Amino acid sequence: MAGNPTVFLLMVSGQIESAEFPEFDDIYCRYCWVYGQDWVITSGLEDGITQVTKKSHDDRKLFVWNFPLEVTFKSTNPHGWPQLVVSAYGQDAFGRDVVRGYSAVHIPITPGQHTRTLPMFVPESTSKLQKFVSWFLGRRPEYVDPKVVAQGEGREVTRVRSQGKVRVSFNVVTKDMKKLGYDTTPTDAAASTQPAATGIVPGAS
Amino acid sequence: MAEVHVIGQIVGASGFPEHSLFCKWGVHAGGAWKILSGSREGQTQVDNPQDEQSANWSHPIDIHFSTKGLQGWPKLHFQVWHQDSYGRNELYGYGFCHVPTSPGMHSLECVTWRPAGSLREQISQYFIGGGPQLKNPDVVYTGADRYKLTTVTMGKVQLQLGIILRNFDKYGIEC
Repeated sequence: MAGNPTVFLLMVSGQIESAEFPEFDDIYCRYCWVYGQDWVITSGLEDGITQVTKKSHDDRKLFVWNFPLEVTFKSTNPHGWPQLVVSAYGQDAFGRDVVRGYSAVHIPITPGQHTRTLPMFVPESTSKLQKFVSWFLGRRPEYVDPKVVAQGEGREVTRVRSQGKVRVSFNVVTKDMKKLGYDTTPTDAAASTQPAATGIVPGAS
Repeated sequence: MAEVHVIGQIVGASGFPEHSLFCKWGVHAGGAWKILSGSREGQTQVDNPQDEQSANWSHPIDIHFSTKGLQGWPKLHFQVWHQDSYGRNELYGYGFCHVPTSPGMHSLECVTWRPAGSLREQISQYFIGGGPQLKNPDVVYTGADRYKLTTVTMGKVQLQLGIILRNFDKYGIEC
């Protein structure tokens, strides 16, 4: 009963591995998946929170979470390919929760194992007085919805300071992308049969 | 109809003399190409890095093209600007690169250049900033009138792009 597939699946398993934040001591992360309208999560969690971890006392000064990510998406269209949005939070000198960085990255489109290093950034106050007041009150500038980080629109008015990096690894598996005609690796495109259709003439424009 | 998906990020930039940079980007393609979804241009945030020399933008790009021909393969073009603490913007570089033609993940580095003015303009640029800008930004991605320009090398823009092609093998295209 296998008709022509109309959807393809993207299965991602990976982890939020570790981070480097030279100035801070305790950090935890929230993550969420941001995707377009044609995408749906068929299994796995939409968002989550990691544990609070302390920096290692050796020269590496590394924060390790080793936090598992497992999710499967279903879609009809690669547009809106899912992104992982990671927000890191910590405690300031007065014990209040403040944001330490945001970042977003697309899930890699080729099947296989991938590691990504995400540079983290925080929105910055405009003036020195605002910076002092926000340090004093513990109300740092933060995004109302971290999903903004996954969009391109509206960024031109924001000023940010980048600090720290988070390391994430992905294992990507896709199903039925080739059957729907999508090529995500060069060898797939080369292993074709004979040209069937007209319409593309390399000399025309 | 063949389709191309460009899914990735403008990761950041390095090699520029100052921090506090932002990038205006756009995509240009020939007449046979049509954008089905995604924005054709945009502007990143202004990044002021804490401890490094490189700006980090992580600006997402997700564009879906359909095409009837290979001519005019899409090109991404960039303008890197510097914003100082007073809020003034100064041009730091122009650059372009072609969207990769083979499917898969690609890490690209796009080199940039800035127009150099006359000696007097260079001296005033050293002291008060500013500097010549192109009247017609099309020159960035065409070769037409380039011979009239003298330029200075600036830094590089890093991109991480994933390319998905659809139906190219049905038309006999090898890539």
